[in-house]
Amino acid sequence: MLAFSPVKNALRPYRAIQRQYRRIGVARAPSMKAGEAYASRPIAIQQIWIPEFEDRIDRCTTCHLGVADAAMAGAPQPFREHPATVHTPRDFQRFGCTACHGGEGLATDERDAHGNTSDAPSPILPTDLIEAGCGRCHMADSVRDAPTLSRGRELMAKSGCYACHAARGHEDFRSEAPPLDALSMKTGAEWLRRWLSDPKAMDANTSMPNFRLERDEIDALSHYLFSRAVPSELRRAIETAAAEPAGDAVRGKTLFAESRCISCHTVDGKGNGSAPELGKVASRATRPWLLAFLRDPQAFNPRTRMPRYNFSDNDLHDLVAYFEDELRDFDAPANILEPLRVKTRLAERGEKLFKTAGCFACHGGVKEGERFGPDLYGIGARKATSLDFGRRSDLSRTLTAWLAAKVTAPRSFASGLKMPAFTFDAGQQRAVVAALLAMAATPVPEPYRPAVLQQASLVPAGAIGALISRYRCLSCHEIGSRGGDISTAPLTFEGSKVNRDWLAKYLTVPYSIRPILPERMPILHMTNEDAAKLADAIDMLYVDPSIPDDPFAGHPESDHDAAEGERIYTTLGCRACHIIGATGGYYGPPLTDTRTRLKPGWVFHYLQNPQRWRADVRCPNYGLTDTDALRLTAYLETLSAPPAGAKEKIR
Amino acid sequence: MRAIPSLLMAVSILALSCGRAAPAPAAATPRQSNRYELQLGKEVFQRYCVGCHGDTGAGDGFNSFNLDPHPRDLGDPAFQRSKSNADLADAIRRGGAGVGLTSLMPPWGHTIDERHAAAVVLYIRSLRR
Repeated sequence: MLAFSPVKNALRPYRAIQRQYRRIGVARAPSMKAGEAYASRPIAIQQIWIPEFEDRIDRCTTCHLGVADAAMAGAPQPFREHPATVHTPRDFQRFGCTACHGGEGLATDERDAHGNTSDAPSPILPTDLIEAGCGRCHMADSVRDAPTLSRGRELMAKSGCYACHAARGHEDFRSEAPPLDALSMKTGAEWLRRWLSDPKAMDANTSMPNFRLERDEIDALSHYLFSRAVPSELRRAIETAAAEPAGDAVRGKTLFAESRCISCHTVDGKGNGSAPELGKVASRATRPWLLAFLRDPQAFNPRTRMPRYNFSDNDLHDLVAYFEDELRDFDAPANILEPLRVKTRLAERGEKLFKTAGCFACHGGVKEGERFGPDLYGIGARKATSLDFGRRSDLSRTLTAWLAAKVTAPRSFASGLKMPAFTFDAGQQRAVVAALLAMAATPVPEPYRPAVLQQASLVPAGAIGALISRYRCLSCHEIGSRGGDISTAPLTFEGSKVNRDWLAKYLTVPYSIRPILPERMPILHMTNEDAAKLADAIDMLYVDPSIPDDPFAGHPESDHDAAEGERIYTTLGCRACHIIGATGGYYGPPLTDTRTRLKPGWVFHYLQNPQRWRADVRCPNYGLTDTDALRLTAYLETLSAPPAGAKEKIR
Repeated sequence: MRAIPSLLMAVSILALSCGRAAPAPAAATPRQSNRYELQLGKEVFQRYCVGCHGDTGAGDGFNSFNLDPHPRDLGDPAFQRSKSNADLADAIRRGGAGVGLTSLMPPWGHTIDERHAAAVVLYIRSLRR
């Protein structure tokens, strides 16, 4: 037997591949000497061995000989140079190949190495899902340079996947879906029937999937939902509202536009789309409910992202009058908001269904150990042979094909499955599959795990915290590592950035700073008192100690030369993007009121390195010396807003 | 095993240095292997450049109307012929003022790295009409 092994070795395919590499190398070599180096390459197995990273032995470079060779750019595979990425060519020796690509590192035969068989423990990732490889180490929701993965993770959270499926790092997930306690006073039986049969058809913005309920199931659920006791405070709030006078629809329409509701909502599809469509809202919810909800949305759903506007009673009456006049379904039957007369037997059946169909997972809150669906631990490392393809004989027997089908048509595998249908387009489907493939069986060893930045909340307790919560600043703004990024302005160091007085005024009448951005920050009708309190708190709390109050302290008087600063402003071409006075570009914020708006320390700090404030800032880093940055600051600090009474905003 | 990577390195350094000696003709169509770099270049271009140079590089971004001189039409074949990749990368790095043109084109050398600048050059080549 042993006599055969040298023969077998001589016939291994990689030897022919390495000989071919020699020939291609010689042909591509830029000099005789380099050509000789290719020609005299020994024929041998190559490997990268990383004992501390899951004892990785990657022999991929046995065939992929040109991965780190610039002369092999554009060469035929398997010899082509690896495209430059964040980790290549820098980190070949640190990660090997299979850490990102998957595949069988030990194999020296294409079929085995790429794992193109259904029982392969780790098939190689297809190129369009390659970012799943990033996600094995990078556990954060948003991963820089991995847009597909980040989008997939965002979609999974938004779609509520973690409400039913346990997954590492999402143990505390709570859906934003509203509690349904007050549903019987909100809507009618007909509307609910339509909603349950196809939520997306009723509101394209909803993240609720279609449960494909049968007619009798919809009936049972409706009877149950209408049988639930409305909490007494909500009942009182709605009943009080029912007796309130009608408002002025014309004024309501103006108020609706001014309040910038479509920064989150849509009306007939126009708007942001992160909150419900309002085009037919008056046929969706009753007038008393709308009034009570707008008065205090957070009482109805403590997890809602909607701020509590400081509307007056008259404002509310006018807004809802506008809804009833214009934002309604004119084709809807008259009874669309009529309540249901509850039949107890049906309601009991509905209550069971509410549990067995999984409604409670989003609409009630799910506790640890109560998750409804199979857990997702290690789903990205499942062998294709261990998967149940059921009826789907059409699918290729791979994990990626299985996941893609599970995500879009979960019930096509067998009858009796409970997972609802999400409407993902092809791009979203790919993103979710990439996010799922990144869910490895075991976490990577500690040194390979980038720190997931989750600082303690920077929102203080007490009166200020209550204000930040009431106005839901975190729905759009980042503070520390928390909050949304709808707004381009993180608030973490806002106190070091803007002047307190400017901020107090801004909060009462906010506007977009950059001329190209649509007006987005809602006018919350904040009282002057609330605005002052918030401005004081931000001025005191949200500061970066590395930003000096007085940037000129300790510098020679010549660094304070505003005239020189103006010259620098002209030389650098800042006016390409910024307006001062009547001229300049529309890209960045106008600087006409710099002194009124911004603190000098911040201007100086920003000019030294704009990306330090936010990594995606477009303002280029000019690599200014401290002296130049100070002089420029001195110039900009001579610019202040026109005196009170003059037009405030430049558009 | 140890010797191989350094050999490869030597080869690649040689290849690079020789590549510089003879000016490489500007590739009009990106090679297959550059798809990733091209995509990267497009992303960087869309982040930093479209505001003035426009989506297609024609110099018609929304901010171009505030600028005199107008942003360069990057798709113009004559312009593409007249500039080598190194020229383009240099203008991106040092800005208009750095290459004797208008300072309204800012220098990006402190903001985007060499690789991103090279990717943008590759993408600009693909904008040729």
